[in-house]
Amino acid sequence: MNTLIYVSCLGFFCMIAEILNQRKLIIPVLVLALAVIFGLNLSDWNHGQTYFNNMVQVDNFSVAFSGLAIFITLLLFILASEFYAASDTHISDYSAIIIFILCGALMMFNFNNLAMLFIGIETLSISLYVMAGSRRFEVKSNEAGFKYFLMGSFMSGFLLFGIALIYGASGTFYLDKIYQYTQTNSAILPVTFHVGAVLIVFAMLFKTSSAPFHFWAPDVYEGSPTLITAMMSTLVKVAAFAAFYRLISHTFLYVFPSVETVIAISAVLTVSIGNFIALNQTNFKRLLAYSGISHAGYLLLAIISLRGNTESSLLYYAVGYSVSTLAAFSVAMLVFKAAGNENIDALNGLGKKNPLMAATLTMAMLSLAGIPPFAGFFGKYYIFSEAMKNGYFYLVLVAIINSIIGVFYYFKPILAMYGQPANEIEVKTNYANNLVLWVCLALSLALGLFPDLIVGLL
Amino acid sequence: MTENILNEMNLIKPAMLIPLLPLLGFFITSLFGKQLKHASGWIASLAILVPFICSAYIFMNTDAATSFEVPIFDWIAFGKFSIPFAFLIDPLSILMLLVVTGIGFLIHIYSIGYMHHDEGFSRFFSYLNLFVFFMLLLVMGNNYLVMFIGWEGVGLCSYLLIGFWFKNQSYNDAAKKAFIMNRIGDLGFLLGMFFLMMMFGSLEYKTIFSKASEIPVGAGLIVITTLLLFVGAMGKSAQIPLYTWLPDAMAGPTPVSALIHAATMVTAGIYLITRSHVLFALAPFTSDIILIVGVATALFASIIGLKQNDIKKVLAYSTVSQLGFMFAALGVGAYKTAMFHVLTHAFFKALLFLGSGSVIHAMGGEQDIRKMGGLRKALPITNFTFLIGTLAISGVPLFAGFFSKDEILANVFVHSNLFFAVLVLTSIITSIYMFRVYFLTFSGEFRGTDEQKHHLHESPATITIPLIILAVLSTVGGFLGLPSVFHATHKLNAYLGNVVPSLSEHEVSHNFEYILMGSLTAIVFIIIFAVFNYFISKKNMPEANEEVMNPVGRFIYNKYYVDEFYNAVFVRPVMLLSDIFLVLIDKLIIDLFVNALAWLAISLGKGARLIQTGNTGFYVFAMVISMIVLLALQFII
Repeated sequence: MNTLIYVSCLGFFCMIAEILNQRKLIIPVLVLALAVIFGLNLSDWNHGQTYFNNMVQVDNFSVAFSGLAIFITLLLFILASEFYAASDTHISDYSAIIIFILCGALMMFNFNNLAMLFIGIETLSISLYVMAGSRRFEVKSNEAGFKYFLMGSFMSGFLLFGIALIYGASGTFYLDKIYQYTQTNSAILPVTFHVGAVLIVFAMLFKTSSAPFHFWAPDVYEGSPTLITAMMSTLVKVAAFAAFYRLISHTFLYVFPSVETVIAISAVLTVSIGNFIALNQTNFKRLLAYSGISHAGYLLLAIISLRGNTESSLLYYAVGYSVSTLAAFSVAMLVFKAAGNENIDALNGLGKKNPLMAATLTMAMLSLAGIPPFAGFFGKYYIFSEAMKNGYFYLVLVAIINSIIGVFYYFKPILAMYGQPANEIEVKTNYANNLVLWVCLALSLALGLFPDLIVGLL
Repeated sequence: MTENILNEMNLIKPAMLIPLLPLLGFFITSLFGKQLKHASGWIASLAILVPFICSAYIFMNTDAATSFEVPIFDWIAFGKFSIPFAFLIDPLSILMLLVVTGIGFLIHIYSIGYMHHDEGFSRFFSYLNLFVFFMLLLVMGNNYLVMFIGWEGVGLCSYLLIGFWFKNQSYNDAAKKAFIMNRIGDLGFLLGMFFLMMMFGSLEYKTIFSKASEIPVGAGLIVITTLLLFVGAMGKSAQIPLYTWLPDAMAGPTPVSALIHAATMVTAGIYLITRSHVLFALAPFTSDIILIVGVATALFASIIGLKQNDIKKVLAYSTVSQLGFMFAALGVGAYKTAMFHVLTHAFFKALLFLGSGSVIHAMGGEQDIRKMGGLRKALPITNFTFLIGTLAISGVPLFAGFFSKDEILANVFVHSNLFFAVLVLTSIITSIYMFRVYFLTFSGEFRGTDEQKHHLHESPATITIPLIILAVLSTVGGFLGLPSVFHATHKLNAYLGNVVPSLSEHEVSHNFEYILMGSLTAIVFIIIFAVFNYFISKKNMPEANEEVMNPVGRFIYNKYYVDEFYNAVFVRPVMLLSDIFLVLIDKLIIDLFVNALAWLAISLGKGARLIQTGNTGFYVFAMVISMIVLLALQFII
């Protein structure tokens, strides 16, 4: 809880810095403060408590995911120092909004009340609509922001409707009380409760960019500024999945059969659509968007097999995926800036021009494709084996076939970097970016070699 | 007792250091080779010298009763089955450690001079260090699996070093041939380990050897196991039928031939069998096979040696033949004698190879003895040391080879007269071809070009000093194992006595020993005179090409056409089969299937893209339809 308060204060700091004309201070202070908050957050480990009349519940699950979210944001701010260096204004606004996205995400990790969940999701989403459209003079960015806003608010309606139906049936917003209600009345639950649960699941599927509610993702990812795309595909996706997991494991265990089919169908559609469409992509950002969709499908397997306590697998996968995706985006950001377009061709010959960047991107692609010894491989391994244990053999089969197909498009950038003659584009690197690259490279390898670092945590 | 344990505790650290340093040397020379330039040669040598000192230290602080283990870590452990990564220090492994690091160090020093102008200088030393590391693992392991790691590792290094000058395709082919032939042997070794696992449930020496006493002599399983282990030894130690790779392996730089293909790696097979003597003692049938293979190899290889004109090829066939001698000793159960010959052979064969390297160096790469001659004057040190090596291998009294070869002959005589006669014949042939090489190279008139004559020079000190040291060892090395007729103790037998039991019943009478030594010595001197007379006094030359040879000579010159035979019977049919699989199975069936799948996936992807229209209205419509369908699935159907 304190973590959330500290982070919110950082948002206000950004705005005050604007008033005091101290814009240059913003990013260094944010990076430092986030590092401190990361440490403070860990002090809640094993000291879970409830706050605000039980509306917020801090436990190890929320502490672990909050830590991950803060870490991702920290890396994003390091990248932001370069990304916003050229743009003249608004650095304080942008930073503040990004901080508020983090606030929304933190709420989504430790809610114990459906109202709190809604507030979290809306805080995150509304900030994100703004950031998606933050390149005001670019048509694509405007389009992305507006599309996201339209569809997002449409689905928020369903979320709200689902919450209302559940309140109508159970008479409470509290997760633990809803759980007790389903426990005592499990035989005679009204159909409105079931419908409400499914509607909430629809909304969560939308937030996690799972099919058939994924339509927004490729367009919005492509149109948004690259830094925000990186944020959407890491921080936001992790937040959505953590919230999804928490919601179902705390509330819907007794109505699980009614949401199970929906999640299973969605999982199959998501991995298939994500991987198959990605095969023909030439735009790297769009490729990563579809990659994100397919990974959402794998993560759905962790949700569906949550009876086996897959928290650890979910966390491990989330860390591995975020690190790899961030690495890919931090390379992409510089290359696309230099190239002026976002095609895979822009990467041609990077292996010779900048070995560090090429190595990091290669690592990221291999990890996302699920090739050992990187974290992506063990993430998939844990999730698949959990799903197998819970009897979802065919789901795992589809997922495995799809991850084989995925290898094809993950190798496209690698082949471009090492197999193609170098192009004319001169990529300028900087210390901040190299730092992020090294951190991602080291983490992905370390997690791949020593999965126990995270797997045993939860 | 406590004193002993304390003593062993003190020796654990040096023992760990022994394999560690060459590995470290490998990393340093391979990672920083470019920066180090010629310093890498000295670093690599130091990485062998220190282990040699450690080995000597262990040797001095232990006695023949020593046997202790150095645990490194638990390597594989599941269920009841566990294999530790641990070393065994006993007289046998200490002896091998001294040979590997001692001769290894001399050859490293030699290589600094020999490889000085080579562009791959650092790479050469990194491979050499890696080789020594694996060789040390091979002899130090306390179980068969660690030995197998070393076994495979030295095979790899042998491959890398034979193909060291990889720009020459025929060298690459030689490297491949060595590797593949060794793999055939390795398969035998591997299967042998599976059988050991099955029979004893462990791969550790002490467990296996203590349980082996429960097995009856000649039991079927133990015969199969020992035969399989012997197949492994055949590959590594170049015995019939897996010997053809060793002469081709001379494509590598000469120090490699000396270290790997004469002194150390090729004796791994003898080490394997000596180490497992408990098992082989239980399988008399296998021992007979070893004896037959050993004797046959010794004879056939030495005959080929008579007709070769490449100085290194002669030495290579000589190595194969000498290895045959050692296997003959193993076959009659004279394990200690085999190890004795391993030791003396390591001295004089390394010396001969290094001497030939010095000659090749002076001749600017020329290896054909028909184009040499009279090098005595230009290369006095090389001449003198090579002569000592030749005397030692021919079995002239007082030189190292005399004692060990005499011991083998005496042991075989007790076992079988026929094999004894064959080995005596082989021994005579050995003296003939070795003196043929010596006289053609160093005596008479120079037969090379004027330019070569102009460049003739004695090699630098880094080359001559190892030669001198090895010459001394080849002279005095034999005194480690004086036969009982001289009323002296057989030091090596006493040292190895606790590891390998004695064969007391196989003692020959002293009179026979006198006759054997006397007659062999007389024969060698007659041969020296005859060969000198034939090649130098009468100035006969080996035939210029095979057309002028008689049929028998041509048959021997072409190595009995064994390579051609293997090509026709094994290589070509395998190639043909592989072509058939390539065209029919791979291209036609598998590729087609896989490509069709890929095409399907891409087309599906193209189709699926169409739903991503970019139209928000359509998106919302699709989502609503999906929701209706899903809700319907859930609640209506």
